[in-house]
Amino acid sequence: MEKIQTGTGKKLKSVSYAKWGYIFIAPFFLAYIVFTLVPQLLTIYNSFFETYRIGLQQIGPNFVGLGNYKALFQPDPNGTILILKYALNTLILWIAGAVPQFVIAMLLALFFTSTRLNIKGQSFFKTVIYMPNLIMAAAFSMLFYTLFSRVGPIQALLENWGVIDHTFDFFAIRVSVRGMIALMNFLMWFGNTTIVLMAGIMGIDQSLFESATIDGANSVQVFFKVTMPLLMPIFVYCLITAMIGGIQMFDVPQVLSKGDGVPNGTTRTLVMYLNGYLKTRNLGMSGAISVIMFIITGGLGAIVYKMLSAPYKDQNRKHRERKGNVL
Amino acid sequence: MKKLVAILMAALMLVGIVACTAKPAEQPAAEQPAAEQPAAEQPAAEQPAAEQPAAEQPAAEEPATEEPAAEEPAAEEPAAEEPVAQGKVFNIYAWNVEFKGFFEKYYTVPEGVTVNWIITPSDNGAYQQKLDEALLNQENAADDEKIDLFLAEADYIGKYVDSDYTMDISKIGFTNADTMYDYTIKAASDVNGVCKGVSFQCCPAAVIYRKSIAKDVLGTDDPAEVQAAIDSWEKFDAVAAQAKEKGYLMTASFAETFRAFSNNCTMPWVDANDNLQFDPQITKWIEQTDNYIKNGYTLTAGVWDPEKTNEMFADGKTMCFFGPAWYYNFCMTNAMDPEKGCVGDWRIVMGPQAYFWGGTWLLAATGSDNTEMLKDIFETFTINEDVCTKLVENEGQYPNNTKVAEKFANDPNWGNTMILDGQNDTAIFAELAKDIKWENHTNYDQILNEGLQNKLQEYFNGSVDYETAMNNFYQLIKETYPNIKLPAA
Repeated sequence: MEKIQTGTGKKLKSVSYAKWGYIFIAPFFLAYIVFTLVPQLLTIYNSFFETYRIGLQQIGPNFVGLGNYKALFQPDPNGTILILKYALNTLILWIAGAVPQFVIAMLLALFFTSTRLNIKGQSFFKTVIYMPNLIMAAAFSMLFYTLFSRVGPIQALLENWGVIDHTFDFFAIRVSVRGMIALMNFLMWFGNTTIVLMAGIMGIDQSLFESATIDGANSVQVFFKVTMPLLMPIFVYCLITAMIGGIQMFDVPQVLSKGDGVPNGTTRTLVMYLNGYLKTRNLGMSGAISVIMFIITGGLGAIVYKMLSAPYKDQNRKHRERKGNVL
Repeated sequence: MKKLVAILMAALMLVGIVACTAKPAEQPAAEQPAAEQPAAEQPAAEQPAAEQPAAEQPAAEEPATEEPAAEEPAAEEPAAEEPVAQGKVFNIYAWNVEFKGFFEKYYTVPEGVTVNWIITPSDNGAYQQKLDEALLNQENAADDEKIDLFLAEADYIGKYVDSDYTMDISKIGFTNADTMYDYTIKAASDVNGVCKGVSFQCCPAAVIYRKSIAKDVLGTDDPAEVQAAIDSWEKFDAVAAQAKEKGYLMTASFAETFRAFSNNCTMPWVDANDNLQFDPQITKWIEQTDNYIKNGYTLTAGVWDPEKTNEMFADGKTMCFFGPAWYYNFCMTNAMDPEKGCVGDWRIVMGPQAYFWGGTWLLAATGSDNTEMLKDIFETFTINEDVCTKLVENEGQYPNNTKVAEKFANDPNWGNTMILDGQNDTAIFAELAKDIKWENHTNYDQILNEGLQNKLQEYFNGSVDYETAMNNFYQLIKETYPNIKLPAA
């Protein structure tokens, strides 16, 4: 066979099956270009224009250069720069939810994967902790709103116990509204993170844990010296996706605060701010916020990635260098 | 073979993508089955109407009313041809099912026409956003997907009426406006006075009070005497203090009296040069509410909040509620609760200031291919005395028909048994309706009215100080309508 084909051998070599690979991934890229890249570029383009509607009457588009960005960073009469205020809100809300989310998720992932604990009924627990994620965020938020509203059961219960008086309002206090949002985000996402981290831990060679134990490492040492470094890529992935999700936080605070970010806009996130402009289809201002968010997201993602994966990369390099030396 | 499989798979993926891109266009079609359901229910709803031959009369009467027009054959001819061109699908955009209920009970849909209800709640402006998109796309939409009729509220009706997306209803043959309340016509007319739709209700609003509480506070529950005790804001405030002494609330929401002030404004929110201006009525409302909150005469709940409507249960402590006829159905269901409610313990009086609140208008969308049916619907809910009578008798509405309203107002045997224990509320509303004026409205009213209430609520419930609340209101305006010039801080 081979001999017969030698004449065309060269030609055959140039026939690359790679093109089928390209063809297979082409649909994704086409969809990406049409539905993501083009809108993204349009957003950037629109952010340089004044364009909105008064009723059904279209104003603009008029080119204003960086006018929209300037307007965003102009302080209001009280000296507050609103976009910074909302960015800070978003950050606080995210951190308040993400810290417990990662701590608990990590603990649970360790418990579930520990051969020493060997927890029974794992699939049941895994399903249960994942459950909150299956509820629509808006519905979950509505539930909390109903529970904590002025006529809700929690208010009634606490009033009965004499903890609070009738004028108490959970939604008039910054800490309580922010706390609820953080709690909901935590409840919704810790299960998801647990499962991803578990998959990461289970991907680590069990013999490493064993040998560490045999060498006399206690569980804390095993965690910091073995599990964590090897889990780092998955952990970083989790953190970055959680962070992107956090920056885009919208549905939970929107529904809980009836779109107003009560009290005093302290639970208004960046996307809620953006959405406020879309009421009058103000594509210029909302585009400018989008672009700023895009930059923040990209920047934060890069920083987190650099920070967390640097030691891991170092180790890899050392590892390779050592190998090289030996060879 | 492998290649064939590969090509097949790639083709499949492409088909998937194409199907995805085609989706937006298909969506309305996909929605139809769901939207059609109510239409499917209609035969059932139609039956009672069919049983009442009177309800069908308008249809039978029409040829008669059109006959005089036959004198102008030239004008008649195109109209006569029109039935051929009538569409098979009638699309109605609305934000709740209030009108849908009336429509299904009292209007007989012509045979072969499917009615599509596209209902989007108005929360956070969702209804208008959806409606606007559909209207802007009206020209390109297929005939059966064009909006034929849409509903609009007093706060934003101007936005649609002053546009080319609504059409002159005299062009579709609706000219008989004699019995409609003047302000409902003005509201639906553009700057040149061209009327673009009708309302099926007239919304003079009054004070609805608890009989038993009034007796305790004022020593009388007689409407005439109660009215004498609260016929000005000064007296109203004085009664509020009396009520407080007896352990009652005067109103149950900080915004309860807002419309009584805001719909009596002497200048629009925004002047011709886009300057924001505070009418003395608005300032007066802020002062009054501030005083009421500080003295504990009212609650910090919004007008629609359950905390307020819970006050309508029998064990509620609130004396007065402000509302028009639609208030019974929308806000007073707690009062009508068979167990915890207090039907019959309510009376209505004109209150300190005549005003109107809300109202739903039916607007004719430009490009509708069901003009005959549009005209039919408009006539059914305005000049058809039989239907208007039923709206009063069965639905507790106040009709947009002066003749029918007068009939009930002057009928000594007529009374509202739904909630007022037989008091003739139509007489009160008829008196108030005379004073309703439609003026000083702008296209910005909804955002400004609701925004002011929402932002001030935070001041009233103590989370921010007054300056911050007002600043938040200004920032909201800046965000929504950058063209409005704010007062210098």
